[in-house]
Amino acid sequence: MSHNKLRTALTGLSVAWGIFMLITLVSVASGITSGFKENMASQSSQKMMLWSGVTTKPYHGYREGRSIQLKPADMTTLEAEHPEQVKQATAVISGQVTNFTAGANSVSTFYQGVKPVEEELSNIKINRGRFINDNDMARKTKVMVLPDDYARQLFPPDGEKAVGSRVNVGDISFIVVGKYNGKWMRNVYIPYTTAQALSEDQEYIGSMTLVLKNVDNTEQADRLEKGVRKSMAKAHDFSPEDESGVWIWNAISQSLTARTGINILNIGVWVLGLLTLLSGIIGISNIMFVSVRERTHEIGIRRAIGAKPHKILTQILAESIAITTLFGYIGILLGVALTELLTRLFGEFIPDARVDLSIAAQVTVVLIIAGALAGLFPALKALKVKPVEALRDE
Amino acid sequence: MITLKDINKTYFGAVPLHVLKGINMHVDKGELVAIMGASGSGKSTLLNILGILDNYDSGEYYLDGTLIKNLSENRAAEYRNRMIGFVFQSFNLINYKNALENVALPLFYQGVGRRKRNALAMEQLERMGLADRAHHLPGELSGGQKQRVAIARAMITNPSIILADEPTGALDSHTSQDVMQLFRDLNRDMGKTIVIVTHDPGVGRQCNRIIRISDGRIITPDTDIRPTDSSDNNTISCTCV
Repeated sequence: MSHNKLRTALTGLSVAWGIFMLITLVSVASGITSGFKENMASQSSQKMMLWSGVTTKPYHGYREGRSIQLKPADMTTLEAEHPEQVKQATAVISGQVTNFTAGANSVSTFYQGVKPVEEELSNIKINRGRFINDNDMARKTKVMVLPDDYARQLFPPDGEKAVGSRVNVGDISFIVVGKYNGKWMRNVYIPYTTAQALSEDQEYIGSMTLVLKNVDNTEQADRLEKGVRKSMAKAHDFSPEDESGVWIWNAISQSLTARTGINILNIGVWVLGLLTLLSGIIGISNIMFVSVRERTHEIGIRRAIGAKPHKILTQILAESIAITTLFGYIGILLGVALTELLTRLFGEFIPDARVDLSIAAQVTVVLIIAGALAGLFPALKALKVKPVEALRDE
Repeated sequence: MITLKDINKTYFGAVPLHVLKGINMHVDKGELVAIMGASGSGKSTLLNILGILDNYDSGEYYLDGTLIKNLSENRAAEYRNRMIGFVFQSFNLINYKNALENVALPLFYQGVGRRKRNALAMEQLERMGLADRAHHLPGELSGGQKQRVAIARAMITNPSIILADEPTGALDSHTSQDVMQLFRDLNRDMGKTIVIVTHDPGVGRQCNRIIRISDGRIITPDTDIRPTDSSDNNTISCTCV
């Protein structure tokens, strides 16, 4: 092997290239996956959302184009008609944009009246105090939960004094009971019942969220979606076939589909990488064949002075694995360098496209198997060499 | 030391070739024997069988009291390693390993540690007067030096017999004498059993006994030609210093 360094180096490069491709692809894919997961985790997928819509089909003497408005009563209907899957129906009542003031400080925003389940639905991370609870709901208390950002603006410098202080919304005074880590959202939350009382003309709700249970696959989710549409069609008198009477967003089906997509992406990436690597492996196997042929005579000498067949086998396998692993690690180093660079440049989209320990371990296993495979057939060929014939060959 | 009883060997090619036709021979411990014959007489085949490099069809071959017949590759390798030292016409050194590593190689296959086998190899090279060449590659050595390295390699496992195949074939007459003298010393001083295959009558004369083979048969089974002390020994003593 050492006699022909150039040939070995050139073939080794193809292994390095294969590993480089494999590791880069796998790392970027895992970066995309984890970016995606972080995004999905910020919202619970065990839910289904409904919006008011406009009919597109004539039904029961009504023309198409009639607008359907969701009502608070629809929540009770759905909870009653699908008790197996709907844990709770909830909606958000949004207030008008006004000035929220605390002493001399103020921000211009609006409140959202929500039920306690919103904490879980929107994955709200309370870092001080508490969220809206059932007691607030029952007693229609005037309490609010602020995002960190507003807490800082209303109670400078750091917002630490926000919890327990008062904030005025117009001429109504609220007590701040908690604040949360608002990376993606800046919503001010108050109890749903309080919001309901504040807006007297609350005949309609724009949207509604169903918190689900016992829904584990796309099929169940799709069946529930049909059931919900049917219930709404009955309540509002539109065709159950009409998909735009009430808009339904089926988060579960989407997240399940996305998960399947991610799995396909991962498999595809490994297949592509391994195929690229395969050309390198064939190259190594090829030079091992040539090397065994060139060294037939040497192998004959070794056999004559007492080398057992398995010694010859392991020697050739070891050489093949050594070459593959050496150049493979060059590929890994290049891959690590590139993915580090990618992370620096596009860190926002692919948060950790880094070569982590498990990828490195997997690739090492792949390399050893690849090296052994590349060496196996040439080694078996070397074993067939009879010492007599090998010695004659001069 | 070596006993062959009615050894037959046929090569099955396009035309079957009966190479050895019932070989009977015996070599005692401590003998220096030459096997001579024209090319095609079967002497190389005989040597390969003696060296457990090839198998035979019928008969019996005892080496140092052990029946050598139908051995697995592993057993054959082990016997070759422990009982036989080979010396070849073309030296058969591994050209990217230095003299010391070449000599130590048989011990590597016995699982001897590097430090110990290098020490033993150095001892052998010193005995051959090549201590200062230990770290040279075969390409940097003369023909005579290469053959002495090969002999050192054959000796390192302290084998029962040394088999030499035309050991002087690639050497000039002067160096040939040196190498033959070395064999005679090993035979006389250390009591090594040595079998040399050759077609060179000069080499044959320096052995204790000549076994002639022709057309697959031994034609002079017990001819004991001791070299005449006068002529040959004189030539040797003046050539090798």
